[in-house]
Amino acid sequence: MKTFIVAITTTLLFALGCGGSHPPPTQQMADVQSADRSAIELGAQKNPRASLHLKLAEEQLALAKTAMDDDDNEGATSLLSRAKADAELAIALTREDNAKVQATKAVDQSNAARSNNAQPGAAQ
Amino acid sequence: MKASIVVQTGLVLALAGAGCATAAPPPDLLTARASYARVQSGNAATHNPADLHTAKKAMEAAEKSYLDNGDTRETRDLAYIADRRAQIAEARANATRSTQNQQETISDMHSATSSQLGRANQQLAQQGQDMKAKEAALAVEKEARAAAEKRAAQAAADLAKFASVKEEARGMVITLSGAVLFASGKSDLLPGAQVKLNSVAEALTQQDPDSKLVVEGHTDSQGGDSYNQDLSQRRAQQVRDYLVTRGIASDRVTSQGFGSSRSIADNKSAEGRANNRRVEIVVQPTAQAKTSSL
Repeated sequence: MKTFIVAITTTLLFALGCGGSHPPPTQQMADVQSADRSAIELGAQKNPRASLHLKLAEEQLALAKTAMDDDDNEGATSLLSRAKADAELAIALTREDNAKVQATKAVDQSNAARSNNAQPGAAQ
Repeated sequence: MKASIVVQTGLVLALAGAGCATAAPPPDLLTARASYARVQSGNAATHNPADLHTAKKAMEAAEKSYLDNGDTRETRDLAYIADRRAQIAEARANATRSTQNQQETISDMHSATSSQLGRANQQLAQQGQDMKAKEAALAVEKEARAAAEKRAAQAAADLAKFASVKEEARGMVITLSGAVLFASGKSDLLPGAQVKLNSVAEALTQQDPDSKLVVEGHTDSQGGDSYNQDLSQRRAQQVRDYLVTRGIASDRVTSQGFGSSRSIADNKSAEGRANNRRVEIVVQPTAQAKTSSL
């Protein structure tokens, strides 16, 4: 019985030690905040698809802060890994749409130039 | 292809693992699998293989976690991340394709502009050449006109030495003395007359080519009217024929004898009679010239 109690105590202490030793994910937090700012600078808030993922990233970032305040570093790490993925996706989606807009603009310019050149009096 | 086999094997093993574990795979994993399958069959392999590879690794990590540990928070986190990595690969591939399209459009536009510029330059060069040719032709024409004017002036000067030139209502009248052209009572041209008529012909060719010429013969009042009429007609005809041989179009020039009916001086004096013995060449202006001179 005595041996059993010692074993249980040791296991609990070990488990507590592991949980408490998880380092606070400060670097991940900074990475997510940086990605979040980049997404906003690119115009993610004006893009419906990107803004959804930006919002998800920011919500998870807020939850991660709360978790860190509660010493739940493992939970915070989990949330931050999701937040980072969402912030990066927001950036990618914004860039995708920006590139589409630029491509469409180039086609419009090309069409306009072609129609200008087709007008009477233009150099043939 | 290898990547596909690895992931598909992972999916089979995951399904087997899920079967063993009896619980259904977490929704995040199902979503990630669907996203990855979609992206894998899309344009990411062509336009963004690096990110597709990253997505594959994320997918494999999620599948392994599910196989090893089942539906844990780590498995769900990894699946969530795998789903986002697949979407990122897709978005970046689309961005790359759009950028390529944009560059191709701009390049095409530049090519079209360059070729238009080339054509415009060619046209300009051609126009420049045409203009030079026109200028050269104009210079030649100007030179020819100057030479013609010079010849006309010379002819007029020569003409003035033995003939009088007057502008009258019926046209320009060139009066040649009968003594210069014919022997008394004859209608054959004197040898010296031909030289003088050459100058007349030269002067006449400078006139409007559409104008009509009338060669009129006149005598003094000595002798009978019939004789004078006949003599004046023959002399006018002689002059007319000679002018035709010098290049005046035959349908342009006619002849007419007036005898002594149109005297211009007194027939009582020798000087007056000499003035009356004459040949007049009348250059009748064309209707167009008449109109323009009004």
